[in-house]
Amino acid sequence: MKRILLACSSGMSTSLLVQKMKEAAEKRGIEAEIWAVAQDKAESEMSHADCLLIGPQMRFLKKKLEKTAEANGIPLDIIDPIAYGRIDGEAVLIKALDLIGE
Amino acid sequence: MNKFMTFLENVLLPIADKLNNNRYLTALRDGFMVALPLIIFGSIFVVIANFPFLDRILSKSAYQAYQNALGPASQATLSIMGLFVIIGIGYKLLQRYGGEAIYGGIVAIASFLILTPQTVEKVAGVIPAASLGAQGMFLGILTAFTSVELYRFFVNKNWTIKMPQGVPDAVSRSFSSLIPITLTLTVFLIIRILFSLTPYETVQNFIYTVLQEPLTALGSGLAATIVAVILIQIFWFFGLHGQIIVNSVFDPIWYTLNNQNLEAFQHGQALPNIITKQFVDSFLVGMGGSGMTLAVVILIFIIGRSRQIKELGKLGGPAGIFNVNEPIIFGLPIIMNPLVLIPWIIAPVVVTIVTYFSMATGLVPKPAGIIVPWTTPIVLNGFLATGNAWQGGVLQLVNLLIVMAIWWPFLKVLDKNYYEKEKSGAQ
Repeated sequence: MKRILLACSSGMSTSLLVQKMKEAAEKRGIEAEIWAVAQDKAESEMSHADCLLIGPQMRFLKKKLEKTAEANGIPLDIIDPIAYGRIDGEAVLIKALDLIGE
Repeated sequence: MNKFMTFLENVLLPIADKLNNNRYLTALRDGFMVALPLIIFGSIFVVIANFPFLDRILSKSAYQAYQNALGPASQATLSIMGLFVIIGIGYKLLQRYGGEAIYGGIVAIASFLILTPQTVEKVAGVIPAASLGAQGMFLGILTAFTSVELYRFFVNKNWTIKMPQGVPDAVSRSFSSLIPITLTLTVFLIIRILFSLTPYETVQNFIYTVLQEPLTALGSGLAATIVAVILIQIFWFFGLHGQIIVNSVFDPIWYTLNNQNLEAFQHGQALPNIITKQFVDSFLVGMGGSGMTLAVVILIFIIGRSRQIKELGKLGGPAGIFNVNEPIIFGLPIIMNPLVLIPWIIAPVVVTIVTYFSMATGLVPKPAGIIVPWTTPIVLNGFLATGNAWQGGVLQLVNLLIVMAIWWPFLKVLDKNYYEKEKSGAQ
């Protein structure tokens, strides 16, 4: 079970991506829990996630979130802007799996 | 051009970083987030209490009874939103420091109440509701910051009462905050007493006169709003969330102006402000998202020929109706795309000016102080924001046409570019 957390300003635009990522995961037969939250919830949600992806428009939060991510021992990264614009669930899923390290 | 872009990005990212990671601004923004459900709840009942035509259908006394019955919904939430924002700020700030957050919330609100007038026209034992709303907003924010800092200072001094072993954890925790809270509140009591000796009489009055009034006067002007709009657009152009960054500075001003209008609206008086929180949220963001990209989506369906653009219209359209436009911003793309820089910045400025003057001349009612959720679709959004006035909805449609006209030539060029690339790529 892979647990992938996405965060943006209010969790709206990342939730578009969540749907596409879920479809991509299903197609590949990967069991994954993928969800999106607003940035102020990101820190508390990290405790039950395997990795965190940040919307590119909120990339200035990386430094702040990095500390909590480290404390939780999970990797984090910023979603590629082009994949974000295309709502390319597959590309982002692959990136998430890469981050988790499988 | 590329070098210049990299330079700007290098300037903007640290600004965004500073503004967003500043602990006070973060606490401020999160504090407003805490209050938001209550603000929306109150707004819903202001809308219901002021449904159009009801005043003509119902008799005067029946309409009054109807409004009185629904009044407490907004009076207990939206009208005194300062109260909830202060608790939220105090809580979030102390949480960030790793303290027991709830004490941050209560020390902030108690400090604020100590500074608040407790008599109305010589009647003691009352707190004027207005001081918990628009009037006390700035004092509330400042008090929340300073009281939590003081509280933390006293906690760190370790003058806490140490409990012997075997005392349950919760018990010793409640004692451990006793001394810091006592000292913090005493400081605020002294501040109150000192101010009562000055011509301002209360701290509320002092902050209101020297800080809040000048700042809100500045923020309610067209010039400051245009500056804010341009900043939002520039941040977005570099792919940074413009509202989140700019709002953290402007929200206290915009919400204060908003509540002044709400008070006037509920008392049937003339609305004082054009620029309010809802002016920005409905007429600048509420048309498909920042930069009014719903107009771009519609244009795509009208003039789009390239596959890439048409695909984007289908992808970004449904979300755009609810004012989520990241697909358009990152997909068109708008970020770092010199081709669309001009309409991206000019269109919102033109719309700001048009909206401002259509309200200044009385053609369209001013925002009624109702907070409409930002995901509310166009037309309905403008209708609700102006206190159930159809002119508000129509104005949004007019604005939409303006944005479409400004974007037309630029989108045409962009589309042609993509179209030719696709054609040559296919051969």
